[in-house]
Amino acid sequence: MIQVTALNKVYTVPKRGEGLWGSLRSIFSREVEEVRAVADLSFSIQAGERVGFLGPNGAGKTTTLKMLAGLLVPSSGERVVAGFDPSKRDPAFLRRITLVMGQKQQLLWDLPPIETFALNRALFGLDEAQAKRTQDELIQLLELEPLLNRPVRNLSLGERMKCELAAALLHRPDVLFLDEPTIGLDVRAQVAVRRFIAEWNERSGATVLLTSHYMADIAALCPRVIVIAGGALRYDGPLKDLAERYGGGRKVVVRTRDEAPETLGPFVREDGALVARLPSAEVAAAVDFALRQVAVADLSIEEPPLEDVLSKLFAERS
Amino acid sequence: MSLGVSIAALMRASLLTTMRYRASFVGEAVMAVAWAAWTTAPLFVVFDQAPTLAGWTADEALAVVGFFIIAQGVLEALVDPNLRAVVEHVRQGTFDFVLLKPLDAQLYVSLHRTEPLKLVHCLVGIGVVGYAADAVNAGPVELLSATLLMLAGLTLLHSLWTVVVSSAFFFVKVDNLSWLIRAGLDAGRWPVSLYRGLVRFVLTFVLPIGLVTTYPALALRGELKPSTGLGAMVIAVIFAGVARIAWTQSLRRYSSASS
Repeated sequence: MIQVTALNKVYTVPKRGEGLWGSLRSIFSREVEEVRAVADLSFSIQAGERVGFLGPNGAGKTTTLKMLAGLLVPSSGERVVAGFDPSKRDPAFLRRITLVMGQKQQLLWDLPPIETFALNRALFGLDEAQAKRTQDELIQLLELEPLLNRPVRNLSLGERMKCELAAALLHRPDVLFLDEPTIGLDVRAQVAVRRFIAEWNERSGATVLLTSHYMADIAALCPRVIVIAGGALRYDGPLKDLAERYGGGRKVVVRTRDEAPETLGPFVREDGALVARLPSAEVAAAVDFALRQVAVADLSIEEPPLEDVLSKLFAERS
Repeated sequence: MSLGVSIAALMRASLLTTMRYRASFVGEAVMAVAWAAWTTAPLFVVFDQAPTLAGWTADEALAVVGFFIIAQGVLEALVDPNLRAVVEHVRQGTFDFVLLKPLDAQLYVSLHRTEPLKLVHCLVGIGVVGYAADAVNAGPVELLSATLLMLAGLTLLHSLWTVVVSSAFFFVKVDNLSWLIRAGLDAGRWPVSLYRGLVRFVLTFVLPIGLVTTYPALALRGELKPSTGLGAMVIAVIFAGVARIAWTQSLRRYSSASS
């Protein structure tokens, strides 16, 4: 459904001098600087997949999404989305994709959301009966009924995002680009949006490429993740392997009835408990060993927090 | 068909937005008539002193003002609100959503934010032109050619506007440029032949406001040479083509505000 080969994007940005004098000087002598936002990126995504697209701020995630949606022209490289070259912005292509941006909105600010829905139905040239059915389905799934007739400017951020999603999906696109759809939302709204995305993916079979800085989104939604940093690919594979490879394994914590020894097999004492970080294959043996060696009061096995895994991965030099 | 549906939906959304702010049709109509009176007042002052001005009688000059009021109505109803909206879109990066719609983006930004109530000005302008046409005994041929020229003039205005909007992708804050177009148009309330030298040259060839107001009035008098009328239309088409190229080129340069 999405095929990206050796994609590059270089921005030329004017170098502005510092302060008033610098600004004046840069009016006359424009120095430009080249910023490589995306470097040799390749990946492919099958129809119906839900993929998390991760990276630190400025990693090139949004730039990549915009190139895939046909909003930006790449400096070089190939990309095919739903069988189209996005740059041509073929109406048939635009009918098959959608882009939701958590930081920007398309809803008509002074009007109730239902009016944006009506406008989008017309702009996409949708069959009225079928579009109405989709709209009702979205209204029910996102629980929009009480919001439909209130002006957008009177809605909360979470309510607006739910309406944004509905407005972006009325044409039942096959590919969903979601750029931080949960940014700034409270926990309840985050959960609602997350549930909806999973549900919609299952119902419609649409392909989802999602960026988020909230690891809970990724953990709940994306079996597969693509990690980029500095515009280049760092990891592409199952989420669970990511933790295994970069997380330093699982954390096994054993609290003992009596005072814990300094060390015990793979365990080391930390804050009065025995702690070991192990690859998942070795966890069972270690637990077994501990149970036999000491009187155990409490035992826990923790996955490394995704945040830690990722910050390690982001920090790594390529 | 679907194009008509899209345009109607855009108009509807604009009308609903206007009505949210309780702008009243009656209020706008009163304003339009008052504004028309204010615009025509100088004519009465001038023609009180002399029967003709550079070969124009009061009624003929009134036709020029009528076309001027129509053009101004179009500017206020369609052009200005859209320009302000596009500049805002580009500045905030929401222009992305325009590009994601399967509708020609130039058409979309030309129609997506309008103030339909301001079209009342056009109705008043048509009234003024109608009065003047009756006074100069214009026949159906004159009326038709005047209408065609007016449309050519409006095409030209729209092309100028498109070029201004295209430049928004490079300079971002361009809404002030609309004041330049407006100031130019303002000069069009008098027949172009009243101006001399450089100003006349500019108003005919550079910012061809004369095409919007004076030429249709000439057509109404039955004094427009067919070749001039045809030439005016050719110019309008060329401007539209140039505007289209400027638009597509600048779209390619559009890099959208960062996330």
